[in-house]
Amino acid sequence: MVIFIFCLAGESIAQDDLPLLDLDTPVRLNFSGSWEKDFTRSDNWEDELNRVMRMRQEQAAAQVAGIRPLSRPRVSIGNINLNSSRSRSNFVNLARVAEYISRQTTMEIIQNRNEVRVERKGEAPLICGMETGPTPTFSSPHGSEFCGWNRLQLIFEITLPEQLYITHQFSVSANGSSLQLITSIQNGDGIPFNLRQTYNKYEAPPEEYNCIQTISRGRVCSQRTPLD
Amino acid sequence: MNLITTVLKSCAIVVHGLVLVTCVQNVPAPVEPTIPLVGSVNLDLATVTPSELLLLDIGVRIFETALEEETNPGYGGLEFATIRENETQYLPYVLRNTLIDANQWGAVRVLPQDDPSMDLLLSGTVLRSDGQELQIHIKVQDSSGREWLNKKYADLTLEEDFPISTRYTPGNRFEPESFTEPFQDLYNQINNDLVAVRAQLSDQNLRDIALVSQMAYAADLSPDSFAHTLKADANGYISLVSLPANNDPMMARVQDMRVRHHLFIDTVDEYYQALYEDMQPSYVIWRRYSYDQIAQDEAATREAYDISRYSSSSGYLTLIQRYDRFRWSKIYEVEFSELATGFNREIAPAILELNKQVHGLSGTMEEQYIQWRRILRQLFTLETGRP
Repeated sequence: MVIFIFCLAGESIAQDDLPLLDLDTPVRLNFSGSWEKDFTRSDNWEDELNRVMRMRQEQAAAQVAGIRPLSRPRVSIGNINLNSSRSRSNFVNLARVAEYISRQTTMEIIQNRNEVRVERKGEAPLICGMETGPTPTFSSPHGSEFCGWNRLQLIFEITLPEQLYITHQFSVSANGSSLQLITSIQNGDGIPFNLRQTYNKYEAPPEEYNCIQTISRGRVCSQRTPLD
Repeated sequence: MNLITTVLKSCAIVVHGLVLVTCVQNVPAPVEPTIPLVGSVNLDLATVTPSELLLLDIGVRIFETALEEETNPGYGGLEFATIRENETQYLPYVLRNTLIDANQWGAVRVLPQDDPSMDLLLSGTVLRSDGQELQIHIKVQDSSGREWLNKKYADLTLEEDFPISTRYTPGNRFEPESFTEPFQDLYNQINNDLVAVRAQLSDQNLRDIALVSQMAYAADLSPDSFAHTLKADANGYISLVSLPANNDPMMARVQDMRVRHHLFIDTVDEYYQALYEDMQPSYVIWRRYSYDQIAQDEAATREAYDISRYSSSSGYLTLIQRYDRFRWSKIYEVEFSELATGFNREIAPAILELNKQVHGLSGTMEEQYIQWRRILRQLFTLETGRP
């Protein structure tokens, strides 16, 4: 009797055609969609620059006066002496570069079970698999790119010649309606400049044309039909 | 920096992995011996058709590839692998055309498999193939197991090898008649080397090759009847032990089967010809893009290590310039990968045509070929009553 029940149970399990959970491919948050910059919730690079400089100057001044809150790390005067015009100019340059790198007001993200692809106008797409990484995604004499995941964040790190580092950190809100991108840029072992931008999801109008790249006829487009 | 170390602080292994990757990149790659370039080679052309004895039938097997993954990670790996695979069916046809143009040989056919009815069997492995350089390892054996060639060939292209018709412009169509294969010197050299080997063989050697291939085919059809006519020595060389009488009815049937078999492999060859013709315009343009891409990469490498370009490392314009160089190199890489997709998309119908079902046979060209040989064997058994 016991064997019979066991057999029945075995049969019911065998008939269960629920898809097996693929434990090798981690589940990631869904970043896909069309995103537009929300200027009210995004850093303005000049405001952010002023904020950081003011904060650092206050810290440095407090340090000179011998006042140092216990919770804060000691500010290295030699490293980030923003009173020095050269250092200030370097930091301003980093801020301007951060603004240049993240100048796009919209982006399109396509995501499937295997990869996520971030399309921005005027830039090559940022493409990353679902593995934790870091995974090398591109390398040329002009620099290299790695990507990886930190739990819910998607991260791209670009290393350019002469130790110029750029990092993009993408995170999406729990309801999937807003996305945050922090672009960080650092020269050598100096302090990084971070620019935080928020994007809202929007319904992009459907593409009017279907375009494919061919080798002998260039880019070939055809009008989309309702069935496409 | 590294910012990733702070961002991924919960992933110590990840950061460790990053360090490992950096270390691996610093290990110098083993240096492969350079393959000498063939240089400029004129085809050894026979102006008068050579004697029957010299007209050996050649089977050119579709090539293999030693190329695995692209060195640049991330973009288009699968697309490039597909191109490599398709190349292995295209390049043998270029060699086949060269051998026919030389007018030095009998029938020359592209085959999906080794074929016992051929006098000479040529196989090749693609070691490197792009718009700038082609390296192929060629092996040629005659039916008696004698090695004719076991040699690596390499050739480089120049800008002028890619005429204006190989660059896409609207309305500028590719003209196959006026196009010369950029690596033609390499194929000419293979033909010339084969002619040189043949010249060293005696008439008796050449006669034996033709007889051995005839009997090898017979033994493949009916091992019980004909295997005893051949013997292989310790080195794998095959020689004739005996020959059937001229009026042997079994042998007449074998000859009949061989003719049918050659008709079939002529059809197979025609499929490869159709593939070659369909693929050629796209492939030539693809190679042109590849040539441009390599030239650009080389220029980028030269620029990247010109330290004076990065001397003022913190100026705004210098930083932007540094980022833009990276940005454009990546855009080019992605575009090149998209072109690879476009190339594969364009030749997909030709590949499908090659592999589609014909004459009740099914599967890929290779599978059909195996099926055909099996059918011939069965037919022979039915007709003769001999296994």
